Parts: sequence; structure tokens; C-alpha cells
Amino acid sequence: MKKNSNIIIVLFLVLSISFVQAQDAQKILSEMDNLMSAPQDRVATVEITIRNKKGNETVREASLMQKGANYRLYRYTKPENKAGIATLSHPDGKMWLYMPSFGKAVKITLLSKSQAFTGTDFSYEDMSGIPYSERFNASLESSDKPNNYLLNLLPKTKETEYSKIQIYINEENGYPIEMAFFDKKGNNIKKADYSYVKKGKYWYAEEVIMTDLRKDHSTKIIIKEVTFDIGLKDDDFTLEKLTGKSKSD
Amino acid sequence: MNSGLQTFADRIIKGRWFVIVSVIFLTIFFGLQLSELKINSDILKSLPEDDKNAKLLKEIGRNFGGQNIGLLIVETDNVYNTASIEHIASLTESLAEIDGINSVSSVTNIINIKGDDFGLEVGQLVDPYDLPTTPEDFEVLRQNILNNKLYKGSIISEDETSALIMFYLDEEAIVKDVASDVIEVSNGLNLPENLYYAGSPMLVSYISDLMRKDLVTLLPIAFLVIALTLFFSFRSLSGVLLPLISSLVAIIWTLGSIALLGFNMTMISNNIPIILLAVGSAYSIHVVNKINLEDADSYEEKIRNGLSSVTIPVILAGITTAIGFISFIFGAYLDMVVEFGIFTSLGTLYSCILALVLVPALLALGSKKNDTIKKARSPKFKLLEDFSLQLAKFVSQKPKALFLIWMALIVAGIAGIFSIERSVNIQDYFKPGNPARKAEQIMMDKFGGTKPVFMLFEGEILDPVVLIKMKEAAEFMEQSPDINSTLSVADLIAELNFAITGQRTIPEDPDQIQQLWFFLEGNETLERLVNPDLTQAIIISKFKSPDNQSKKVFAEYMDGFIGNNQSEDLSIEITGMPFVDVVMDRSLVNSQIASILIALVFVIIVIGLILKSFKNGVLSTIPIVAAIIILFGLMGWSGISLNIATVLVASVALGIGIDYSIHIIVNFNKQFKRHKNAHKAVSESILSSGRAIIINFIAVSLGFLVLVFSDMIPLIYFGILVAASMISSGLGALTLFPVVLASVNRNSEKE
Repeated sequence: MKKNSNIIIVLFLVLSISFVQAQDAQKILSEMDNLMSAPQDRVATVEITIRNKKGNETVREASLMQKGANYRLYRYTKPENKAGIATLSHPDGKMWLYMPSFGKAVKITLLSKSQAFTGTDFSYEDMSGIPYSERFNASLESSDKPNNYLLNLLPKTKETEYSKIQIYINEENGYPIEMAFFDKKGNNIKKADYSYVKKGKYWYAEEVIMTDLRKDHSTKIIIKEVTFDIGLKDDDFTLEKLTGKSKSD
Repeated sequence: MNSGLQTFADRIIKGRWFVIVSVIFLTIFFGLQLSELKINSDILKSLPEDDKNAKLLKEIGRNFGGQNIGLLIVETDNVYNTASIEHIASLTESLAEIDGINSVSSVTNIINIKGDDFGLEVGQLVDPYDLPTTPEDFEVLRQNILNNKLYKGSIISEDETSALIMFYLDEEAIVKDVASDVIEVSNGLNLPENLYYAGSPMLVSYISDLMRKDLVTLLPIAFLVIALTLFFSFRSLSGVLLPLISSLVAIIWTLGSIALLGFNMTMISNNIPIILLAVGSAYSIHVVNKINLEDADSYEEKIRNGLSSVTIPVILAGITTAIGFISFIFGAYLDMVVEFGIFTSLGTLYSCILALVLVPALLALGSKKNDTIKKARSPKFKLLEDFSLQLAKFVSQKPKALFLIWMALIVAGIAGIFSIERSVNIQDYFKPGNPARKAEQIMMDKFGGTKPVFMLFEGEILDPVVLIKMKEAAEFMEQSPDINSTLSVADLIAELNFAITGQRTIPEDPDQIQQLWFFLEGNETLERLVNPDLTQAIIISKFKSPDNQSKKVFAEYMDGFIGNNQSEDLSIEITGMPFVDVVMDRSLVNSQIASILIALVFVIIVIGLILKSFKNGVLSTIPIVAAIIILFGLMGWSGISLNIATVLVASVALGIGIDYSIHIIVNFNKQFKRHKNAHKAVSESILSSGRAIIINFIAVSLGFLVLVFSDMIPLIYFGILVAASMISSGLGALTLFPVVLASVNRNSEKE
């Protein structure tokens, strides 16, 4: 009888610790999500450098307007032959692409999110802006990097291209340092390295490098001239704003 | 007797232990290399670098990665039902998990970009999380496929009975492992649909398996057949064991040399063991026969005399056979044929050396024991001796009749040569009903074939002029009855333009193209169609007809387009398996003629030099030339086509068959010198060499006939044709050749 009760106590303790750890991990992940979407809005210049296997680089530049995590408008300024192209994202994955030489915006319904986002190493899923804590269950692992948590993320649904994501999170400030993405075969296919800096009261990723380990291909995003909380409204993210035409046009 | 040859024979007898230990040591050394021996049945890898079609094909494979495509065909009554779609989805998912496969595409995961009033929809033809269930859902899917040029007839057959799952292999993937995993994983799902595997990786691995199976099963059968023939011929253990041991050792040395020098076994070199078994045993048969026939007081004496008199003909036979094989390096199109020539030639020399060194050394081991039984040996050969005697009589009594029979056969042969067909089609390698052949047939009937065609464009790919030219080229290509569909980056741009503007054309405004490109960039399909620098792009297509004439017509048709559309800023080239096939087909005839002529010339020179008479050199080739004409006649009359295996037969037959003439002419010269009578010399040489020649061609023919049990059609025909050539060249050496020798030497006889 005593033996049985001991087993129950041990089991209870183990389960409790696991539960507490899972709670902690999920909380750390939510806090990271909150940190990433903390500003009300932002305006910035984004420099995108795509580097292929041979080491050749192409550089694009775009202006970015973002409100919360869901409203986003990129307008490309460089290279010249891409200038004027713009993408507008709305909540629930709605997206429009504006191609100036066609003079119209086309709505893009993304049923396949694993596709690369316009030649970068980010997939549409990576760019979705949906918080990680909504899509993944986190567990805490022992970290081999001092002052960093290591979280293991397993998907809540099948509708993801990843079977697992591992994230190192800065213990003190809660921003991500490094992410490793695993495909359905369990292979580490991509990694992202983040450099966070603080401007005013907000931390933001000044530089992100996403590397496709299979293709030896990488995309570096540098955020420049960032300004937060300038009072952007939902109206700044309309189709008219995207195309630069009023409704009467 | 030549004293040098006597000394050689003495040294072998005295140094028998040294010879045996050295051979054992070398056999262990070469045997240890065998674990490194790999099978490579990839014809692509064997294509020569100096052929522009092959070179371009390999280059495209390297620059537009992922051209190594495997195909899984799912066949059922109608694919448009939920269960089948579900099965295709699980096959697609399971294949994607196999190491070495970098992507899989099928109806259940293929990307679909379509435009409607609401904009662009980027998705999949089938939502994997919401499979179609109702007839309406399937009608939508059917229409989506039929209305998309990229998918119509390429992922689901138009008769709706078959779906295609394409899997792309990593560059560094081990093809054989991927292929066996694909079969294991797909069979493991126990699906009710019929599954067939096609495409280069599956075919290559399928052929490798057949080759391995052939090696494992046919070689022991060939050993047994030759052993039985030898037993019935010699009725002694040494007569059976010595030829088999020496050829086995030669096989080990040759295969060991292949591995040691870093080469692989190929579809053709797979024949080497059986050829060496036949050739190697032939040399030993002559040595054993000659030693047995010698009349001497001691067995050592018999070995000495026998060996010294058989050494020259065996060396001559070895060199001429090696020449027959080495002649493949002249004019052969495939590297694997050249390698086959070199290594079979090497193996022949090994066999020749072993017959002259190992066989007498082993015989010398038992010399004491044999001394006592030598007299009891003769009756065992009575049957063959009687036959040789009758043959000698017949030759001297009916020379004209014999000559006329041979002339009739040669005329019939020449008539047949004009009907010889050629085949370079891989389907023809498999027996009817074979799953690989069936898969190729389904691909041909329902998915436009498997032979890839690539058209390479070099220039500013995103320039509208280039893209428009690509589209025109694709449309021009599709007008050929053998091209079902094409795929290029121009199609993707036109489809996207259609989704946005409603026009399935290439925009003329370069900015519009750049902006469409912005949307397409990063799509995995692009890597297979355009290089990262956007300076090279390809049109991918498949050629349907297996018929060579159609391939030639197509090549000329496309050359016309290329000639009219190239410019300074745009270079256009075309290649693919149909083009390689055309060159390979042409080279079949060229290399056949080149290798026979070269082998003949060298054989005449070598025999002429060693026998110090070029007249003898030329005469020796008469039986084998007759045999080769009859061989080609047989191919023409029976419909056995000239292919990458049967193209080897004539030179193999020349190399092996010439040996019979050499034995006869060497004996004839000896006897003619002694008797000064051509008829007597002819009879004596038939009596002396007839038995060995008969045993030899029966053993060699039966050895090669074992190939009829092969699963690969070219090898079956190869076996039949070599056997037929052996019989005709053996009989030619014993009947036609003596008639010619007697007639030619009649004048010298009178003198």
C-alpha cells in the first residue's frame, strides 16, 4: 500500500514538474510573441539581401508600414525594375500584390504557405505574422547557450511545413536569438539568426538572416530608419493606398 | 621442337610450386578487391563527353539540377475517386520522407496558380486537408487539370486510369537505395491500385538488379554446363577441373582489376565472367588435350612436349581474341563498350597465361600418378576421334560439295544482312510482361513517353524577345506528333499573365515581365527551368515514339527551327535521349564495321608475323569471315536486332572463332612440312586438333547459351548469336578451311 502511494507521489511530482515546465515554456513563447508585436505600429526601410550558393547577392529595398502584427505594406524601391511593386497583408492571411506596370492590385489567396516568399528564404508561413504561441506547443529544453532558454516547438495542427522549431530566447529580455526549423523528415532545413536592438521602449530585430541549409542560400533583412507608434490607422492599409489610386479612379 | 619452348615448358614443370603459390597469392589479392566492385547500369553516365548531344545532356543535368526524375504510376479503373486520391496523397507523403528524394509532386500536392475575378489563387490542385469527395468536387478537379496546359495529360492520364507521382532525386543521392526504398515504402502501403515504376533512377536500379541476378544465377549454370561438356569429352577429373579452375581464376583477376582500377560493372561488362569462362576454358582445353595426346615415356615428358607444341597456337589464339575485344575501343559510342573491350581483352590475356602456366603446373603435380595410367586414357576419346576421322575423310573426299554448301550459306547470309534491324530502345531490353517494360509502355501510351528532350536557350532570359521565342519554339515542338506537351519558364509567365490579364501570352513590356517574375521567384519549379543568373533556360519535353526514324525526322524538324531563330543575342540548342539514340544508332553500324575491320587487320598481321606468312594470316580469317557473314544473315532473317549487346557479337566471335583456324593452320603447316602432301596434312591436322575444336566449340556454345535464361533480351540474343557463331566458325575451321588449305597448297605439293 505504502509502495503504491510512493509511486503515485512520484508520478504526481513528475507530471506536475512537466506541467509547470510546459506552462513556463508556453509563457516564455507568448512573451516573445508579445515582444515581437509590442509596438502599435512602425515605419521603416527594409533592405533585403539574397545570397545564392555561388555567393552572388541581389539587394532589394522596400519601405515598410506595419500596424500590429497583421497589417503590413511593403513598397519596393530597389532595384529599379522592381520599383513600385507592393504587397499588402491583412489579418487572416489576406494578401494583395500590386504590380504598377499592370496598373492593378491582385488578391493572392495563399493555399500553400510553404512556398518561398518572392525569392527569399522566408516562406509565406514564416511571414504570416501569426504568433508562434498560437501555432505551436512549447516545451523547455536544457540550453547549451548561457543566459538563453531553449524551447522546443511542436505544431498544434498538421497545417505547417515544419515538424519542429527550436528557439533560443534571451532570458533577460525575451527576444529570439536563433531558430532552427525542421522538416517533416526531422531534418534541420533552415535556421534564422536574429540581432535585436532596443529603440525607445521597444526591442526590434535590426537584422535577421534566414539560411536555407539544403540550398546553401540565405536572405538577410536589415531594418533601417525605424520609427514606432506614429499613429497608423487601418485606413492606411486599404487597396487604394496600395495602388495609389482613389476609389473613383 | 623449338628449344625455347622446351625450356619454357621445363621451367613450368620444375617451378610448378612457385607458379601455383604465385597464382594463389594473386587470386587472393584480386579476390579481396571484389568487395569494392560496384554495378552501374546508368547509360547516361556512359555517354561520351565528345558527343555534343551527350555532353549537352549531361551539362543540362548538372546545371538544372533535379533532372534525375523517378516516376511512380498509380493505375486503377478511374483515379477520380476519394480513395484513390487519398492513396496518391499518402504515397506522395511517404515518398517525400525517403532520404535522397528532395521533392515529390503529384495531383495531391502540385501547386496551382489560377486567376479569377477575385485575383490570384496560389494553392494546390487538391487541398491535402480537405480531399475531394463529391462528384462536383471531382468535376472541379478534372476541369482544373484539363484547363491547365502544364498539367493536362501529365499528372493524370486523359483516360483517367493512371496518375503519375514524380520524385526528384538529390544530386548526391544513392540511386539504387532510393529506388529500393521507393518500392519498399510504396508496396508497404498495401494499396489496391497497380503500381508501376519508371524513369531513369528506377530503370537503372531495375537493370542493376537483373544484372546481379544474372551474375548470381547464370554463372554457376554456365560452370555446370561447361563442366558436364568437359566431363563427357575428357572423362577425367583434370580435364574438367583444370579448364574450370583456370577460367575461374581469370574471372577473379579480371573483376579484381576492374575494381582495382576504379571502374564499375556495367550492363555489358556483366557478360565478362561468362565470356571468360568460355574463352578461358578453351585455352585450357587445348593445353590439356595436347598434353593428353602426346606419346611419351613419362608424364612429365608428355607435359613438356604437349606444352611446347601448344604454346604458340594458344598465345596466338590469346592475342587474336584480345584483339577482337580491344577493337571495341575504335568507333564504340558508349564508354561502357570501350571498358568492356579493354577488360575482356585483359581477361583473355590472363586466361591465356593461366592456361599455359597454371594448367601444366597443376598437371605436373600429379605427374607421378599419371605415369601409371597413361595407357588407359585413349578409349575415352574414341567417339570424338572417330568423328574427327570421318570428318577428315569427308573433307578429303567431298571438297567440292563442302565448298558449295559453304558458298550457299554465305550467299544466304549476305542476303540476310540487308534486313538487319537496329534498336537502341531500352524497353526492348525487357521481356514482354516485365513490369519495367509495362511501366515504359504506360508512360508512352498515357503520359507522352519517358525520353526527355531539352531545348537550351542562352541569352537574357527575361527579355520579352527571348521568352516569346521560347514560347514559339515550344509551340513548334508541340506540332510534332511525338511531343505531347512542353514546359518552360515562358509557360509559367504566360500562365501568370493569363491569371492577371486574361491573355495567355508573354507581355511585350519588360517591366511587366520583371513584375511577374517577382511573384514567381523562389518557386521550386524554376530551378529546373532557368539558371540563377537568368542567362540560360530550358524547355523540357518528352518524346513518345520508340521508332528511330521518327527521332531522325524530329531532329531535322527542330534543326530547321533552330537555324531560323538563332541570333547573336540568343543561342538555341537541343538535346535529349532521342538525339542520343540517333547518334547511338548510327554508331552501332559504324562501330560494328570499324571493330570488325580493325580486328581482322590486326589478326592477319599478328598471325602473319608469328607464322611468318601473311598468306597464312589471310587464309586463317576465311572461316571466321564466313561465320560472321552467316551470323549477320541469321540476325537479318530471324529479326534479331543490332543493339548495344548484339553489336559485340561479331568481334567476340571473331576473337574466339579465329582460334580454331589458328590450331588448324599451325598443325597443317607442321604436317605439310613433314608429309609434303596437302591432303594428308589436312587430314592429320583435323585428327590432331579436331577433337579439341569440337569440344571447345560445344563447351563455349553451351556456356554462352546459358544466357538464354537471362531476364534481359539483348543478353539472350547475345548468347544465341555467339553460340551460333562458335558452331559455324568451328565447323568452318574443320571443313571449309581444310578444303581451302588443300586447294591453295596443291601447287606447292607438286613442287
